[in-house]
Amino acid sequence: MANQSPDRRAVLEMLAKVAAVSQFPGFSRWSFSDENEHSKAAGYRPQFFSAAEYELLEQLSELIIPRDETPGARDAGVAEFIDHIVAHDPAIQFQFRSGLGLVAAKDFMTLRLEKQEDTLRGIQLSSPAFFKLLRSYTVMGYYTTRIGLEALDYPGLRFYSASPECPHKDDPEHKHLPPPRSPNVQ
Amino acid sequence: MSNKIYDAIVIGTGAGGGMALHTLCQAGLTVCALNAGRRLHPKKDFRNHKQPYDMPFRGFGDPRKGKDYIGYMDNEYSEGIWEHEIAFTTAPGTEWTWRRCFAVGGKTNFWGRSSARFGDIDFKAASRDGYDVDWPIGYQEIAPYYSRIERLIGVASTVQNRAANPDGEYLPPMNFRCIDRILESGANKIGIPYLPDRIAQLTRSHNGRPACHYCGNCTEGCDTGSFFSTPWCLLPEAEKSGRLEIRTNALAKNILVASDGRASGVAYIDRATKQEVEIHARAVVVAASCVESARILLNSKSRHWPAGIANSSGQVGRNLCDHLYGTTARGYLPQLLGQPSFPDNVSSSTIAWLPRWQNLTNPREEKFIRGYSVYPDGGCAGFPGYFETIPGFGRGFKREIKRRYPASVSFYVQAPTQRSDENYVDIDPTVKDVYGIPAARIHFAWDKNTLLMWEHAKHACEQLIRASGGEYLGAGEIDTPGTSLHETGTLRMGDDPRKFVTDRFGRTHDVPNLYICDASVFPNCTDKTTTLSILAFSLRSAEHLLENFSRKAL
Repeated sequence: MANQSPDRRAVLEMLAKVAAVSQFPGFSRWSFSDENEHSKAAGYRPQFFSAAEYELLEQLSELIIPRDETPGARDAGVAEFIDHIVAHDPAIQFQFRSGLGLVAAKDFMTLRLEKQEDTLRGIQLSSPAFFKLLRSYTVMGYYTTRIGLEALDYPGLRFYSASPECPHKDDPEHKHLPPPRSPNVQ
Repeated sequence: MSNKIYDAIVIGTGAGGGMALHTLCQAGLTVCALNAGRRLHPKKDFRNHKQPYDMPFRGFGDPRKGKDYIGYMDNEYSEGIWEHEIAFTTAPGTEWTWRRCFAVGGKTNFWGRSSARFGDIDFKAASRDGYDVDWPIGYQEIAPYYSRIERLIGVASTVQNRAANPDGEYLPPMNFRCIDRILESGANKIGIPYLPDRIAQLTRSHNGRPACHYCGNCTEGCDTGSFFSTPWCLLPEAEKSGRLEIRTNALAKNILVASDGRASGVAYIDRATKQEVEIHARAVVVAASCVESARILLNSKSRHWPAGIANSSGQVGRNLCDHLYGTTARGYLPQLLGQPSFPDNVSSSTIAWLPRWQNLTNPREEKFIRGYSVYPDGGCAGFPGYFETIPGFGRGFKREIKRRYPASVSFYVQAPTQRSDENYVDIDPTVKDVYGIPAARIHFAWDKNTLLMWEHAKHACEQLIRASGGEYLGAGEIDTPGTSLHETGTLRMGDDPRKFVTDRFGRTHDVPNLYICDASVFPNCTDKTTTLSILAFSLRSAEHLLENFSRKAL
């Protein structure tokens, strides 16, 4: 490209090196968030939740962000993120534990999927604070993984040689864009 | 060591201190710079190329340290860089959210990079509307310094021909994204300016620094030095002169005073040993940022200066101003729903701005005086924070998050407070920091004028979303004072020594070899950000110091 001056090439090479050598020590902890690595983490041991609570949490997060055309919360290890955060945050431990207790009391794990969704809808109405907490942490856990960011087609942390420019020169108000192609986003 | 006399001591290495020490070293002076924190190492300390899943807490930070993080700039990505060790206190009723960067280069390592010149609408604001005082100098006097700074650091923008925002010497602007084109069209319909920001970020290589690579995480630090910061732009040349000594972890305590009342040096605490150290110089430049600069002067009590050095006016610490920040409107642009994602976040939201459009021709047109600016944000960002506005759960929820992703927009306002007797810094009578230095105490509340701007901005931004064909989803809250990091005042410049601490050159009226080179000399707070003007005024002050130095007047 015309503006790919030598110093720019040097910069891009330098950046590639930096990216390769400076992995944060904690990276492996989250490698399960990569789909390929997920199976390796099958033996994740919850730090805070009991095995039963953890199983429930995994299912609830999957109900909130299910697998469709893109992977869901379970694939992205959202329950592991929540367990990790809650283990480090005494301020929300009681709320999470008692909220999960409410759900467990309804024999949740034995219900069919539709009944589970009905139950979660009921929780949304009866315990809105817990529902909000659960949903927020699920979203936080999902969209901060490679899986979640790819599901959004996150365009960041790439390098560009010029600042990206709107391609719709003749349509400043963007009234005539082609309709979205994927049925997922109709 | 202790009997060495430097030509100058510069306290602080941010924009103001960095420019001062650069100027002095280039001119042949020996300089000792005191910096309260450590040096940063871009490869180790800047995590701007990290993904959230590279971080132990995904960028949200360890909840156990939750109260230590303030958010923007001060977060898990900058762990260990922003400091909370040095105590400050707030008066009853004052809220003050304050993150501080004591690293070499200070806040320039992470700043927002917006770099508009002040104009006569700012310098002569009092003449226009009758409130408070004009600056002691006008635009014509400072314009050449702005030009020199822009040429040195590189600022990208366009010529916009608006009297309220004087044009400078610019690199090519950043390009408008889809959201900018749509909002620009809406703004045109309702008569609000929507323009390329002035941004101290390189759109092409400049003075040996490479062009931006548009990774988008500017406020986590830049590992290529493609936006202005003191360590990338000013320190290398100053250090090459062989005349600069930087002492790190050196927390300035007070100015030392000679028997004739002049400044003779600085006492600082070496944070590594907790020992007090004294160094001496022919001139002292204070550039520790408004609150800290005032604290240092107020803590410099002596027989000559019983109320603190250079405080015969009683004005040291007074007239603290700040920018009110807050999200004025959120919404989305239906035109972009479900469209392919676009790299909108290549510059941490500093691409476009809505420069002040209020009270331009008639200074009393609105219910408030002066004016504010607005910054737009939106599009495909690192995290879909708008999820809170989408109800429910399941497939529909996930689908709507994806559909909304390219379309969300928000605005935040930058509204200046006006000086008042109630907003000031003094020394807490009882609290000391961990090194035994009496702490600064902040007295501050938003004034009515600024709150009227906030209401006005909320309404204007709602109108703008609607005029752009967008869906309006409400406004956010006002951030607590201190959030913007744009404090001004406390050591204001003016011609009358009875009313102002510093003269038109930033030199204290009382002490001829004591200069102030940060935003504490600004007589008012404007709609514009402070850094470019700190650089320009610091350059001018440092050259004034040099002139006196060569005349042996110090």
